[in-house]
Amino acid sequence: MSFLAENWPVLRDAFLTTLSLALLSGLFSLLLGTVLVAMRVSPVAPLRGLATFYVEVFRNTPLTVVFFFLVFGIVQIDLSFPSRFIAAVSALSLYTSAFVAEALRSGINAVPPGQAEAARALGLDFGQTLRQVVLPQAFRTVVPPLGNVWIALAKNTSIAAGFAVSDLTAALTRLSNANADELALVFAAIVVGYLVITLPSAALFRLLERRVAIVR
Amino acid sequence: MTSQQTGGPLVQLTGVNKWFGELHVLQDIDLSIDRGEVVVVIGPSGSGKSTLCRTINRLESIEKGEISIDGQRLPEEGKQLARLRSDVGMVFQSFNLFAHKTILENVMLGPTKVRRTSKADAEKRARELLERVGVSAQADKYPAQLSGGQQQRVAIARALAMDPKVMLFDEPTSALDPEMINEVLDVMTSLAREGMTMIVVTHEMGFARRAANRVVFMDGGRIVEAADPQTFFTNPRSERARDFLSKILDH
Repeated sequence: MSFLAENWPVLRDAFLTTLSLALLSGLFSLLLGTVLVAMRVSPVAPLRGLATFYVEVFRNTPLTVVFFFLVFGIVQIDLSFPSRFIAAVSALSLYTSAFVAEALRSGINAVPPGQAEAARALGLDFGQTLRQVVLPQAFRTVVPPLGNVWIALAKNTSIAAGFAVSDLTAALTRLSNANADELALVFAAIVVGYLVITLPSAALFRLLERRVAIVR
Repeated sequence: MTSQQTGGPLVQLTGVNKWFGELHVLQDIDLSIDRGEVVVVIGPSGSGKSTLCRTINRLESIEKGEISIDGQRLPEEGKQLARLRSDVGMVFQSFNLFAHKTILENVMLGPTKVRRTSKADAEKRARELLERVGVSAQADKYPAQLSGGQQQRVAIARALAMDPKVMLFDEPTSALDPEMINEVLDVMTSLAREGMTMIVVTHEMGFARRAANRVVFMDGGRIVEAADPQTFFTNPRSERARDFLSKILDH
């Protein structure tokens, strides 16, 4: 156990890096995903087309390729991110927002069309109908699929390790290389790090699901 | 807002045509409705009567013809259409109360978001309207906790909260259990008595006799005949209307 104590600073920093990658990307992809889905259901055809294009591109591109592009690809056009961490958050957010948008879209499709009709009949415009009536009900039905997206995102942060971000997976590589005799312990520590993020959030999502459930 | 208090009709449909793909659901509809008039639209299912009702606030678009409300032509899209809709109350067959909002919030949403009425004023007015339709005790419940009849009365209160110029009722009692139909019809009858302009698509012939100024009979996407209820029910001119009435009035 002294091994864990010795390497505690490394493990702690790695855990915090993974946690902030997940939280920041989660927040940004929720925002971007909401914008995308609003475009996708809007009456304006070019917006719908643009959102559909975005979602299909990012949903069908491997995350590693997205990382590769943002870290090395854009250097070709003389662009770069201030840090690898920011590049990683961007890649994760761009990628995950496509899945958030699709989850939200399934929720919007589950809201009975009469709800939006009633809102429009009252004189609410498209944005108000979406904000006041459709999205609040859509969010409620998509808590479980959004939970899945979140857990996938938390694990996808590990791709950042391949691009010089010192997250949990990077710590795994580093510590296991240096301590081949403690391999099981290193693995256990890293896995626990991920579980600490994903397990409580699964419980939190279940709680959220019960809290926001609407009676029909 | 410019309210044109002309002597002209409040709702005017001229040469309205609509297709669902191949199906010609509305054929050359001409109809004008005066201020304070109560028009009941009846006809067999598939005759286009609900579609007609839904074109008046452009929940259904039309391919040909013109619809105007209070002298203003119905805009195609956007803010102008939203503004015009706010003057046209609509009550649906399936109530369509906002499932995630309480009864009180349902009635307050339009006034606060569209009319920019203060929360306090909107709440006061909402409570008055709920009192009037007899569901004030349910103000803090959610729609699913109410009976169908109560939900439909809330839907009427929600539409009235916008002080509409005209109210559209799209088969308001068709989804109700028989014992709840009258509580909704009573509210509608009292509205009619108070001079609200109403267009009512319904199968309730009793309501038509009691409250309508005019009965419009539709079949196959056309207005076959229009007359005052007394004339229509005792002496329909068209064969089609006689046939329809004999089927529904005999039992």
